[in-house]
Amino acid sequence: METFEPKIVGFLCNWCSYEGADSAGKAQKACPANLRVVRVMCSGRIDPQFVIQTFMEGADGVLILGCHPGDCHYKEGNYNALKRYTVLKNMLKGFGIEEGRLRLDWVSATEADKFVQVVSDMVEHVKQLGPFNHHNH
Amino acid sequence: MGEKIGIYICECGPNIKDAMNLDELVTFAQGLENVAFAKTFKTLCSEEGKALIGKEIKGNHLTRLVIAACSPKEHEVTFRKVLKSEGLNPFFLQIVNIREQCAWVIKDRSQATEKAKFLIRAAVHRVIHHEPLEERQMECQPDVLVIGGGIAGISSALVLAQKNRTVYLVEKLPCVGGKVARYEEVFPNLECASCMLDPKMDEVLHHEHIEVLTLSEVQEVLGSYGNFIAKVKTKARHVDTRQCIGCGACFEACPVKVKNEYNEGLNERKAIYVPYAGALPYVAVIDEEHCLHFQGKDCVACQKGCPFGCIHFDEKDQDRELRVGAIVLSSGFDLFDPTRASELGYGQVENVYTSLEFERLLSSTGPTGGKILMKNGQPPKKIAIIHCVGSRDKRYNEHCSGVCCAYSLKFAHLAKAKLPEASIVQIYSDFCLPGKASQGFFYQLDQDKKSEFLHMRGADTIKIDQKDGRIHITYTDVNGKPAQIAADMVILSPAIEGARDAETLARVLHISQGKAGFFVEEHAKLAPVSTMNEGVFIAGCAQGPKDIQSAVAEGQAAAGRIISRLIPGERLTLEPMVSVVDETCCSGCKTCIGLCPYKAPIYDAEKKCAVINELLCKGCGVCVAACPSGAIKARHFTDQQILAEIKGLLI
Repeated sequence: METFEPKIVGFLCNWCSYEGADSAGKAQKACPANLRVVRVMCSGRIDPQFVIQTFMEGADGVLILGCHPGDCHYKEGNYNALKRYTVLKNMLKGFGIEEGRLRLDWVSATEADKFVQVVSDMVEHVKQLGPFNHHNH
Repeated sequence: MGEKIGIYICECGPNIKDAMNLDELVTFAQGLENVAFAKTFKTLCSEEGKALIGKEIKGNHLTRLVIAACSPKEHEVTFRKVLKSEGLNPFFLQIVNIREQCAWVIKDRSQATEKAKFLIRAAVHRVIHHEPLEERQMECQPDVLVIGGGIAGISSALVLAQKNRTVYLVEKLPCVGGKVARYEEVFPNLECASCMLDPKMDEVLHHEHIEVLTLSEVQEVLGSYGNFIAKVKTKARHVDTRQCIGCGACFEACPVKVKNEYNEGLNERKAIYVPYAGALPYVAVIDEEHCLHFQGKDCVACQKGCPFGCIHFDEKDQDRELRVGAIVLSSGFDLFDPTRASELGYGQVENVYTSLEFERLLSSTGPTGGKILMKNGQPPKKIAIIHCVGSRDKRYNEHCSGVCCAYSLKFAHLAKAKLPEASIVQIYSDFCLPGKASQGFFYQLDQDKKSEFLHMRGADTIKIDQKDGRIHITYTDVNGKPAQIAADMVILSPAIEGARDAETLARVLHISQGKAGFFVEEHAKLAPVSTMNEGVFIAGCAQGPKDIQSAVAEGQAAAGRIISRLIPGERLTLEPMVSVVDETCCSGCKTCIGLCPYKAPIYDAEKKCAVINELLCKGCGVCVAACPSGAIKARHFTDQQILAEIKGLLI
């Protein structure tokens, strides 16, 4: 049987997390190929409909990465992301979507190792959950 | 759609070429909808690469470009310029990051090729929704308002003032110079403060492009960056500044005596006075609160005494509206009030002074003419300097004021020079002497045995009483043991806090105040002199405790930030990637107004909807995601563009 390779869509803020992903590249760190990145200016820009649409389009997991609390380029956009994430998580639970398919974390521009770690953990976790079939939800 | 997309895949030398199968990628990209062609090139960012793209935009009538190469952080701007030079809107471009986030992190060649494929597909889906964005410009006012005439404000004003730019320097006191003007000598080289400051004050007062408004306060600020309107109230001085030469005849005639706040209340002045010898402008001022004439009495003693006819009781306060493009707020600091820590005996035990009071005792223009004297007129035999009063103490302020250790050393140097027989003792909990010069200042003092150092556990263990005619200090030493010492004079080093009127200024200027009353900067590291209100800058101790050098640097930095954008005769460029409200969809719920940290959206009562000030918007998109009506669009990061990108990543 072919091993399941989950499709993970990552929404990365322009200033910290996208830079963190670039740092992982500059350091030539091996990172799972499963992550497909959408760059946004701020994690606070991420509309819950983007996440829902991402699952509808066939993603197996969604990763939201922003600046660490207190480090947001726009002061507090990441707090807005956190609030929406909390609501969104409950909403997905209501739809019967496993909790581990959506994850929010903070990655700074220098945290290449953390970036790789978060992505690898997410991929492993979603692999265990198996493919997501939105027609069932 | 009818778009013609050109796709360029950069080999980036071997960086991308060796990590994936580019032939397969080109074939895949060519098969995507709306794509005119896809091709590889060795280095697209080279002059040769840019020339090729430029030539082909025209030759192939391309309407959109997708460039798969390094991170957009590297060359998005480079390639936008190429589009622009060919007459194509620079935003009709999408960069695909196949180097940092693909070639360099995916070790398996076929996996890297696959990932690059859907990243390119997502970009193709996204780019057809790109809208042409234009840099726009607006008229602006090059003049600048500086609030606070201390060393930071003066430094800022002198950099800002130039041909075609007027600087209004607003100072609430009758004279400029701030706290530094009250010091005689400053650390770490015991430089003469007035030799340093006086020429600057003179320059400000006589500069053809600076208007100094003393006795003035900003009461209201309207508008935004480029076009602020500041309402300023100037209190009547009742003395003609053009005629008064500060001869002193008026204050000799005045019968009223009040405490002189410029000497920290250590001596008296009259109700008409010059704050201190050397105050600039050196012009008298009437203190309406204490002047008998303004208390309804018929006293005109000063008017009779003035040989130049300068005194005008009927002068009225004036209100002015200043139109300025930017504002520098340099309102300085006040010291922690030591009466809040009653165990320190300040105000109760005689000869316990704050550092500012001691500065005045040291000053030749101070209450004792520069002699260190106790209340009984005798010089002290032993002076104790207590560090960290109200700072590094969770009960009051957590912060370290950063300058007290250095000025305490200065006090020891100066006191020892004036009173060679006296012993000086420093009771400290930690020494903070940053920078390139202060440590040497310490070694010199230590080597010459000019000061004794007692290590306490913390200032919260100190207790000060009067005992047997001397001052009795008890504290816990660094080892936790109780210790005591007697002294004749005590100098407290209270924490530096934001100025007492900072709260009012924060409200007037729509900026935030953080701990200890300091104003909050836009970004602690990257934007330390700007604030969340674009066009309002902060400098000096208004931002946080600092030494003279740093206050000057901040004043000048704020001026530099302003000069780089507010250019006389030129218009202000607006960022194109901002958010806009669709007035037909907005329900006027005001959700966006509460969320925006930059106060960019305002409610238009007439239109009954929110309007975003494009000058203030930074384009983060927080309001866009929060708008329940979907009425706000983040330019270049629209819902449509992002949803198309998601689709392209996954189909």
